[in-house]
Amino acid sequence: MSDSVLRFDVRIARGQFTLAASADAGDGITAVFGPSGAGKTTLLACIAGALSPDEGEIVLGGRALWSSDGENVPPEKRRIGYVYQDGALFPHLTALGNIRYGYDLTPADARRIEPESVIRLLGLEDLLGRRPGQLSAGERQRVALARALATSPELLLLDEPTASLDARLKGTVIGYLRKVERELAIPMLLVSHSVSEVMALASRALLLRAGKVEGWDTPSRLLLQAAAGYELEAEPVDNMLDGVVGDVPGLVIVGGEEFVASTGDRSPGERVIVSIRAADIIVAADRPAELSARNVIPGVLTELTGEGGRAYATVDTGVPMIVELTEWSVDRLGLETGRGLFLVFKASSVLVLDA
Amino acid sequence: MASDLSIVLLSLRAAALATAILVPVGLGLAWLLARRNFRGKFIVDILVTLPLALPPVVIGYALLWSVGGSSPVGRGIESVFGSPVVFTWVAAALAGAFVSMPLAVRTFAVALSQVDPALEGAARGLGAGPVRVFFTITMPLAYRGLLAGLLLGFVRAFSEFGATIVVAGNIPGETQTTPLAIFTRLSAGDDWGAARLAIISVGIAVLAIAAHNYMLARANNAPRNEGEGTRAGR
Repeated sequence: MSDSVLRFDVRIARGQFTLAASADAGDGITAVFGPSGAGKTTLLACIAGALSPDEGEIVLGGRALWSSDGENVPPEKRRIGYVYQDGALFPHLTALGNIRYGYDLTPADARRIEPESVIRLLGLEDLLGRRPGQLSAGERQRVALARALATSPELLLLDEPTASLDARLKGTVIGYLRKVERELAIPMLLVSHSVSEVMALASRALLLRAGKVEGWDTPSRLLLQAAAGYELEAEPVDNMLDGVVGDVPGLVIVGGEEFVASTGDRSPGERVIVSIRAADIIVAADRPAELSARNVIPGVLTELTGEGGRAYATVDTGVPMIVELTEWSVDRLGLETGRGLFLVFKASSVLVLDA
Repeated sequence: MASDLSIVLLSLRAAALATAILVPVGLGLAWLLARRNFRGKFIVDILVTLPLALPPVVIGYALLWSVGGSSPVGRGIESVFGSPVVFTWVAAALAGAFVSMPLAVRTFAVALSQVDPALEGAARGLGAGPVRVFFTITMPLAYRGLLAGLLLGFVRAFSEFGATIVVAGNIPGETQTTPLAIFTRLSAGDDWGAARLAIISVGIAVLAIAAHNYMLARANNAPRNEGEGTRAGR
């Protein structure tokens, strides 16, 4: 696939609000990030074809979907999968009926993904006969994801897919999204205002504010800057890391380091998502000697963002981990990028989730 | 004189045809009013509601004028079917359809507007064109309200008097529907005959309204958005 998957340059006025955004998104997961009312959902609606921009162009894989020159591919012909915030499942159809709805409408020569493989990938085997009303919020999201994937889309749009879920379900859905990215290689545009979600999933991020693109960068730099400046809804930042259950119960291997955590009845070698709240991690300049916390992980400080008293440090421990601290601590410890330090956290602060 | 049974059957037949006319025309109008924004929408709204406000005699007069032998439409019908439509049971059905249109369209429009547009949008994104979306998503989700509208339209068409007598006349065995027969019998002093038909009319109306209410109650309790989150931002 070429470098450019989705290129857009759109301008649309909706009452007092004007969205003017352009970007060139590649493979993998691109996050569209910003506070409520920034125009994130409007942007997705333009790309999906639910709204027509006033001017500009939208190009998917070299195919013009919309342009000021009069090009306007109807939504049903755009080959874009859309996962709504609340799922938007058809209440009169079963989970399987929902998944098959789009598959049955997909031209035979465009079918690359079979419903059976999506159902297996997302672990939906036992839910197929249920109606949306009989599914939990997390299950609905997985069915909605499966429904979109079963159309073999060229692009997947995700509108705050975990916004209505609690931390545990959030981790599960994030795990499934990673799995989808890994195994199906479908480029995704993820709308989110959750730092944790974007950090866990996206390789690039677009920061939208009041209808304008304010930044286009790696998620960590972009988001932590915004988070430190209190521009986001007060949602705690979680690290969502890929891990594998170790040979001994109570150990998880993350980026080559052993984390002590409750692994439940999971068996060695099982893939998991490890969630650690950035505010639950303590930074130590030297290896602490006697300590009740059981995790002391060495790392190198790679990024430091601070504003208005709060700071975020990105520490490479084999995987990038985010630590929330105060600017006061940054000054006192004399933290600067490139220096080695230790991350300290309790075993009980590590939430092990199914991947 | 025609029997009670034949009179009621004639009325039921005319009301059924009126209801059959309501399905495409009423649904189309309701969809326009519930789902579309266009110039002149308020005029369509007024025209649809007008029969509710006008004396039915005026509607009959307008129909007579527009499908009668002196109008192009009337002559067209006559050349296709070989006979005029006015003063037939089909004209009685037409009269019933026009008079019941406002009730049916209003009930349909409410039913359609209760279907979450996000579901229709989702179906479009999954590859369904607008017509398929209507038949596979909108209709199945709105069917109870749509049935309620049909029942209301049916019973209103069954009860029509003023428009019917103008455009279809009062020909026993051909266009004399139940309300016309009641009026004729009363005029002739056949009180018991009129009362029998009145009782049947009340029975049919009660049944239809009960079914209508049941459908609406079910429609309002239907699992449309069960447990789904807010739709802020759309």
